[in-house]
Amino acid sequence: MTPVARASDAAAMHTRAMQRVPAELARDALGLGLRVPHYPYLFEHWPNVGYFEAISENFLGDGPVPRQTLERVRSNYPIVLHGVGLNLLGHADLDEAYLDRLARLADAVDAPFVTDHLCWTGAHGVTHHDLLPLPYVDDLVEMAAKRAREVQRRLGRPFGVENLSSYVEFRESTMTEWEFYTAVVREAGCSFMLDVNNIYVSSQNHGFDPEAYVATIDFSRVLQVHVAGHTREPSGTIVDTHDRPVAEAVWKLYASAWRKGGPFPTLLEWDDNIPSMPDAIAELQRARAARA
Amino acid sequence: MSDDRDAAWLVDFQRRFSSMLRAPLDRSSGTLRAVRERYDRDLVDGVTPGPTATPVERLAIYNRQYWFRLFGVLHGAFPLTTRLLGHWTMNDYAARFFLEHPPRHWDIDSAATDFDAFLSGVLPEPVTVLGPTGQPTVESAAVREAVTIDGAYRRVFSMSPVPHFRPAIADPAELMRTRLRPSPTALVLEERWPLVRLRDELSTVAGEVPVPLPPRLPETQWWALVRQPSATGRFPLARREAQLFSLLAKYSVGEALANLEADCTNEERARLPVQVQQWLARSVDLGFWTGTDQ
Repeated sequence: MTPVARASDAAAMHTRAMQRVPAELARDALGLGLRVPHYPYLFEHWPNVGYFEAISENFLGDGPVPRQTLERVRSNYPIVLHGVGLNLLGHADLDEAYLDRLARLADAVDAPFVTDHLCWTGAHGVTHHDLLPLPYVDDLVEMAAKRAREVQRRLGRPFGVENLSSYVEFRESTMTEWEFYTAVVREAGCSFMLDVNNIYVSSQNHGFDPEAYVATIDFSRVLQVHVAGHTREPSGTIVDTHDRPVAEAVWKLYASAWRKGGPFPTLLEWDDNIPSMPDAIAELQRARAARA
Repeated sequence: MSDDRDAAWLVDFQRRFSSMLRAPLDRSSGTLRAVRERYDRDLVDGVTPGPTATPVERLAIYNRQYWFRLFGVLHGAFPLTTRLLGHWTMNDYAARFFLEHPPRHWDIDSAATDFDAFLSGVLPEPVTVLGPTGQPTVESAAVREAVTIDGAYRRVFSMSPVPHFRPAIADPAELMRTRLRPSPTALVLEERWPLVRLRDELSTVAGEVPVPLPPRLPETQWWALVRQPSATGRFPLARREAQLFSLLAKYSVGEALANLEADCTNEERARLPVQVQQWLARSVDLGFWTGTDQ
């Protein structure tokens, strides 16, 4: 791994690492997105969860409490990092300071891998805090691949890009989303962070076959699969809300993915109307039934 | 990008899309509505219709998400203010704030920085709020106090811990010349309405409509707000104690004491020597100081 941390940090991390569980994930591990409302239950019961996925940006700041909390979680579980602020496809250069912080955080928790989205999140000096789409064209494959390769080099560990859920498609696109996605991963030499809920959401919003999308994925390069809930609006448009259980259609797509490329680590995201931790874990366990 | 022409295309596309995202939502119908007819024509023309929505309807999803996500950030960062104003009024000020101060940092929580100063500067007298409380207006001073309290909690919580200063100054003359360096993890709060307690009470009760402003306190109340290892603590302060802490943050110990004494009644002045010793010790215990500037 890239020796990003200062020597004093490295010594401190080494001491802490002696008190941790190993960082590696079982290939069929089931994980949960780390969310604040679950902290009281988590720190009292230390439930049987394969690993946690932390939103990188929640732990990159200088405030001490989030990092102390993450270290506490790390003592008992492997942690992978999932970002929402890399801005891989923004017109501006990647944020070097952000990457430095991300690399230090990944080192600190010994993350097996780090992921972010194949999208842009801001432009012209303004950050939109949303995962935004672009036309899928050859030039962007080149740009995205170059940047993803650089991010993976800087992090010194596998880097995965996640497919978006989207609500628009552009006339200028010269390829499908999955052609764009697979080309970026192939040319960057990075990995897929495959979100099957996002595939399903986009397939319904744009009218493509989600199974055809899954069929194009090289599962030997899949670091992790996300599942989550979504909301269907009265118009029929589906919005990626992460506020309810995973839809049956998404479990069905997950089962297809598992048949094609399992085993892979599976992560449940739940970001709004967050249920109790036992209920979230019960929802996560449905992945086992889907695999059967 | 492969060449400058393509980079220019991307820059232009993201400018148009950003402009659509940040287009203000219309409030005139009583709900927050995306004003689709104002979207950039070229952007709209570049979007394909979907099975369930037209191009402008598809773009409007992003427009609404942008605003509601940012509203949520302010609701979380300024919970007391949000509940006093109610979501409808709070969102109006939030939209004005974000149009002037769009987020520029990967940390979404930082988007709320300076909202307290912004709101204090734009509040009319009185502030009109909408909701079924039978109280359509609220004193702007109370809202200013609320946003100051929320802002103080936010600032103290976000600070990294700093070692507490424990003075070892034996010479009284030297102590008088000493200027204590304030800790960023401790603040003095002043309230004329019982808003600190209201903030606690509302933390477990969800709601979007304005809550009634409680009656004014019979006397102003002061609090020390202090970052502690696992939480933010608050401790009641006596009036002159709070005044001393504030003076010590600006002046040398000697000057602060002289200012305090000059402001006291004869009766208060008689008790000061003993009280000042206690208050200074307490300020040290609470972690108000990080060192000294001679």
